Amino acid sequence: MDSSEGSLMEMENQSSKDAVNSEEIPDQFVCCVCLDLLYKPIVLHCGHMACFWCVHKSMNTRNESHCPICRNPYSHFPGICQVLHFLLLKLYPTTYKKREHQILEEEKRTGYFSPELNSHECELHGDGEFDYCGSPTNSTAMCFQPSTYPDSTRNHKLCKTAERVESHVHTEQNCDGDLNQIIPVSGQEKEQISVADLLCTACKQLLFRPVVLNCGHVYCQTCIVPTDTVLRCQVCQSLHPRGFPPVCLTLDQFLADKFSKEYSLRRDAIQLKQDSSDHERATTYHLPLAVEPGTYTHRGVGCDACGMSPIVGDRYKCKDCTEAIGFDLCRDCYITRLKLPGRFNQRHTPEHKFELIKRDMTPRLLTRITEQLENVSTSVVISDFVAVSRDNTIDDPASPYLHMENQDDTPTNE
Amino acid sequence: MIDFARVQKELQECSKEIDTSGIRVSPKSDNLARLTGIIPGPLGTPYEGGSFEIDITLPDGYPFEPPKMKFVTKVWHPNISSQSGAICLDILKDQWSPALTLKTALLSVQALLSAPEPDDPQDAVVAQQYLREYQTFVGTARYWTESFAKASSLGVEEKVQRLVEMGFADSLVRSTLEAVGGDENLALEKLLSS
Repeated sequence: MDSSEGSLMEMENQSSKDAVNSEEIPDQFVCCVCLDLLYKPIVLHCGHMACFWCVHKSMNTRNESHCPICRNPYSHFPGICQVLHFLLLKLYPTTYKKREHQILEEEKRTGYFSPELNSHECELHGDGEFDYCGSPTNSTAMCFQPSTYPDSTRNHKLCKTAERVESHVHTEQNCDGDLNQIIPVSGQEKEQISVADLLCTACKQLLFRPVVLNCGHVYCQTCIVPTDTVLRCQVCQSLHPRGFPPVCLTLDQFLADKFSKEYSLRRDAIQLKQDSSDHERATTYHLPLAVEPGTYTHRGVGCDACGMSPIVGDRYKCKDCTEAIGFDLCRDCYITRLKLPGRFNQRHTPEHKFELIKRDMTPRLLTRITEQLENVSTSVVISDFVAVSRDNTIDDPASPYLHMENQDDTPTNE
Repeated sequence: MIDFARVQKELQECSKEIDTSGIRVSPKSDNLARLTGIIPGPLGTPYEGGSFEIDITLPDGYPFEPPKMKFVTKVWHPNISSQSGAICLDILKDQWSPALTLKTALLSVQALLSAPEPDDPQDAVVAQQYLREYQTFVGTARYWTESFAKASSLGVEEKVQRLVEMGFADSLVRSTLEAVGGDENLALEKLLSS
């Protein structure tokens, strides 16, 4: 206990990469953006991972976004992968909690909050609705509940991981109260991870060649049934917009290393059943990435249900949510009314009213900037303008703005 | 807000790998937003043997916005302004990714030295020379490396000290170094022949 506290302080002092910390973080779990331990990890549609905020901050506000590692395009902000979240919390409790503290301070500063994740408070019902069960106070097992959040009683939200471990437990125990005996109550002590931490959402067995859907649920690749329409999560019904998901190689490697025996058993069983290469060839419908000309994109605004960001076309803005980040839905999600929790821990309820917003401010903003350009232009305005206009403007040698931006080079530029 | 924790980690990572990459990054002052990068000229190019200093400024949005980099050392290259040192490299502009670091960006700049893109020039004069009179280009680039990238790679005082240790008078060493533009080897030759 003392040593961990000491290392915590030292780490805060020098913010170094764990020379003093007993928890050596392997490269595979270091976020490619912040270069720290992944916190509230998101698995992108290409299978690469980054922290919740690192993904959010690296997204393009006006067009499709790209994976920081492989530049694979995507237009939907994925949900947090809770299997990974709880895995990392168990593997590196000290560092993970230090990260939690860091991020929470940052969130308080900005006023934007990431979803709270609690391991077992609620059950997910088959129809895609979340319901309450249990209370936060007695759910101490692995429970990761920051009491410092503005209101911790609304935690009955994103509890999707819970049912994975739970249902496994329920089948054997059929009793809520005994859960603490199975998963030791511990904050600082390092808990042993087990197969129960890494179960497929569908088959409830150890994950084999894991894929992560846009909602953050993890399946064996062979448990995903290819369809001719957009793939949907079997549990939460949210759509997976980018076709058949590739294997998350980091997680796959981890499984193969950590549970080599169980993993090879799973491999044998699956190969007996079917040829997995069928799945690798499988194609599933992609939602289009490109924004059709003439449709409005709502710059910097994402859908809180499916994650589409920016929202293209009609945008429904909640009139009753008071959080700084707001609560918005795209047209499809507004119509289907899937009761999914918000992406930023909003206190949205089904009773809230929406208003329809058809267009955003971008055209007006452009006009304003162009006006300013015509008057006395400043480099700030120009760089803003370049950012607002399409990316390729920067490459266009004919572009007058490029010329202006690089004014100091003009002597040699001719 | 610049992610200073990340910058700190980058600096540590970079200092660990100096021996393999030869790339150095060091802060200019306590403020980590202004840094200096040093890249060795790639072998087998006119820049070989040179040591090039790059001025790095981190924008507020770093690492979600690219770092601003320009050459402090004068360099003759189609994609680097011979006047201002401005670099024309896509990853420092629209192709930036937050997964890139100062070290990988500097490695890309080093790769640019090995593989100029004269069709997408920053310095039109150099690019024209590269395309039309390649040999002249190589000569000029090498001459610039000799004149600017080698002299600046070491402090004058160190050179003076080394030459003085060889037995030459301090004042003579200084005047000779000045006469040859700071090149230690040339100065030594001159000192020996005089």
